[in-house]
Amino acid sequence: MGSSEGNRLDPNWPGNHALAFMGAPEVLIDRLNRGVRRRNARWTFVRDQAFGDALKLRRLRLGNGLTVLLLVDRSAPTVSYHTWFRVGSRNERPGKTGLAHLFEHLMFSETRNHPHGEFDRLMEGAGAEANAATWTDWTCYYENAPRDALPLLIELEADRMSNLVLRVPQVTSEKEVVANERKLRVDDDVEGKALEMLYDNAFRRHPYRWPTIGSMQDIRGFTVRDCQEFYRTHYAPGNATVVIAGDFNEQKALSHVQKHYGGLSASRAAKPPTPAKEPSQRGERVLQLTAPTPTEKLLIGYRAPSFSDPHTPALVIANEVLFGGTSSRLHRLFCLDQEVALSVRGSISPFIDPGLFEMWIFLREGKPKEDALALLDGEIDRLGCDGPSRRELDKAINQLELSFLHSMETAGGKAEQIGFYETVANDGAAVFDRLAAYRNVSADDVKRAVTKYLRRSRRTRVEILRKAS
Amino acid sequence: MSVFFEPSDALPIVDLEIALPVGSLQDPAGQEGLAQLTGHLMRRGPRGLSQERFEDRLASLGARMSVEVSMRSTRVRATVLRRNLEPLLTLLADVVWRPALRGNDFSKLKRRAEAALTARLDDDQALGAVCFRQALFGEHPYGRTLSGHTDSLARISIQHAKEFYARNIARGAFLVGVSGHVSEAEVRSLVASHFPKVRRAGRNVSDVPATRARRGRHVVIVDKPERTQTQLIIGTLGARTRDRNLFPLLVSNTAFGGTFSGPLMQQVRGVRGWSYGAYSRLLHSTQRDAWYMSTAPAAEYSADCAALQLDLLERWVDGGTKQTELRFAQRYLINSHCFDRDTASKRLEARLDVELLDIPRSYVDKYDQLVGRVTRQEANNATRARISDKDLTIVVVATASEVATSFERLPGVKSVEIVPFDRN
Repeated sequence: MGSSEGNRLDPNWPGNHALAFMGAPEVLIDRLNRGVRRRNARWTFVRDQAFGDALKLRRLRLGNGLTVLLLVDRSAPTVSYHTWFRVGSRNERPGKTGLAHLFEHLMFSETRNHPHGEFDRLMEGAGAEANAATWTDWTCYYENAPRDALPLLIELEADRMSNLVLRVPQVTSEKEVVANERKLRVDDDVEGKALEMLYDNAFRRHPYRWPTIGSMQDIRGFTVRDCQEFYRTHYAPGNATVVIAGDFNEQKALSHVQKHYGGLSASRAAKPPTPAKEPSQRGERVLQLTAPTPTEKLLIGYRAPSFSDPHTPALVIANEVLFGGTSSRLHRLFCLDQEVALSVRGSISPFIDPGLFEMWIFLREGKPKEDALALLDGEIDRLGCDGPSRRELDKAINQLELSFLHSMETAGGKAEQIGFYETVANDGAAVFDRLAAYRNVSADDVKRAVTKYLRRSRRTRVEILRKAS
Repeated sequence: MSVFFEPSDALPIVDLEIALPVGSLQDPAGQEGLAQLTGHLMRRGPRGLSQERFEDRLASLGARMSVEVSMRSTRVRATVLRRNLEPLLTLLADVVWRPALRGNDFSKLKRRAEAALTARLDDDQALGAVCFRQALFGEHPYGRTLSGHTDSLARISIQHAKEFYARNIARGAFLVGVSGHVSEAEVRSLVASHFPKVRRAGRNVSDVPATRARRGRHVVIVDKPERTQTQLIIGTLGARTRDRNLFPLLVSNTAFGGTFSGPLMQQVRGVRGWSYGAYSRLLHSTQRDAWYMSTAPAAEYSADCAALQLDLLERWVDGGTKQTELRFAQRYLINSHCFDRDTASKRLEARLDVELLDIPRSYVDKYDQLVGRVTRQEANNATRARISDKDLTIVVVATASEVATSFERLPGVKSVEIVPFDRN
């Protein structure tokens, strides 16, 4: 896919030989399924998709519902193995917030086949970096490893998907770790605390209103039973996508996956209920947080569309024009010309359901927040009224393209993009469509998106004030 | 000409770097922060272009540029879409050869640097790190902060920055590094036309005196209100880059606190859940740099966590590392080494470090062998020779009233000093 101007993953470059290594899928599947009786362990080829101009993303499914995406890329002797589960804090309920995240920690604990601590020890001995992340819509486990370690990664990940053992000592100790993590990221961190306030007030019904790390009370209150129930409900092949990217032999990898995941039962998980729709916001909400901080700050959240919404690319371009780097409008205005802020930043929450367009203004000492807010409002109004210039559009697109390419530098970067797009946008290869969508954004699109979404009546503002010492 | 090149056709981007053997160690006494201010002033663009137009041009090319100053080097780094390599190189050369160094920009930069010092007070981890180096190295240049402090910044004028540039940068003694989707012939031709005056850079082997550890265990509490959690750093002197103990110590430290499976992480986090992270780090430089453990326990058991870490440290230094642990650390270091070179820009960085920081080439070329041949005896001897469990600096960012008494009771503590977190 992509035009020549796209300058993406060019097929003529000697490093990109992926197609040569990916044989005809029907033959491959036939070979892998030969003699396999268990339905759960039989492969189905779904499709090949172009991943840039030279690489190909292959999609297969095991009989038990596990989706597997393969991207062969031999530019370095490494491999990245990602497992994305469609469960995050959106699947929790009040009183049990933070369970998805606590559970992510527990997944590094013992299994029926490996005692406590062995997972990390085997991974590190193989030179693998193993870690995980949880957010609103997903939980991702990943390993970046030397290519020879792939069989080990497959075995250990398949094992913990169904054989995890949950006991009191591990749950107790991990709850303490998470409580400490919460203190680190929220209770003693002024930005973390402000973000928690923002989402808690910007949303009234949707689960996005509670923090992924959970409330301290809920973290302290979890029982082994809560964790076991969560595991039974959400951790099953049908609720997961495995992404393998890097330098590996496709047939051997699939054979290993078949051997280790093929025995797992099909999904136990009931389809989670659709979260409550958030009522539209009809007035600005303003909150104050007083903290022992040396400088005041403003955190503003405008109600934004979902990641897959057709308006989102235009809003991303607007974000780039306003906040993208040192030549952006707001950096210039706040940090260079008026010197009212040390830094500014903006981002749009990449969520399945509508989230927030977050804006941060880190004020300099003694600079009034009212002046900063007036500057921000003025610039947003101007963008909504006049739109960006052609030069600003081109600049934004070039910068987004550069960021995109950097995110694709390593096998881990590619696997992350594929897993994220597969989980949030239902298409692992859609990252390239997104780049194309940015190119198609016009100045009028930006104007429309800014006018529609960046309305004062649809925002929530947290003012972070200095506590007198 | 000192041009270093790492090709990669994996992606249509090119990374460029101008690496200079000058850093904060060259800051004159009382003018700490001068190297960084000068670097950032260069980054404001070349003569004939306002900062606004310079930033605009850079962004339009799909490029980014940064200046990073460390103790011993300054790196001007740029990254660009392949199709815009040549115009970016022109801009980069202008920044290096013809920086505007405008008085107005300088005044703004100074105000920004002062504001950044204030903003840093929000970051407990950064506060702890700065305070640890100051407490460990005292008046030694290794104790300086890259960004200086309010008083030192006040003493720096635009003239100082211009002199610093003329003395250290304008002479053209630097290295040029290029990595990414570009041929060697193209690199040589482009660099020759844009950097004709480049001379081979000398290594930064700054004539700094040997570092010395303060005798005994000393606690510094960085007093910050309303801390439910603490940042705890316990450390002492580490090794020199050319220390024969460096690789044995690297392996030994990895076995102790360099992995998730090591005893430090397992005892602090795995068994007790006391801290989200628990690692030990070994730094090296021309003179002995720091070795330290860092954790972030809750205030109520911060001193207990410190006591546990001290106990683990004593056991490591006195009892040494077991053979199985040593082999595990070696496997980890060798197997994971591929991630130090899986992109062209990382490979380039390693080569520039060798040239600039007086790192023996064998450390890169024969890394696996140097790690793999360390024996248990060498590792344990190196640990005992270099890591002192008696002379320790213990820094904790906490609310002093909550933790002071319990830290005074830690074994072997000779002094406890409380400093306000917003002390300049």
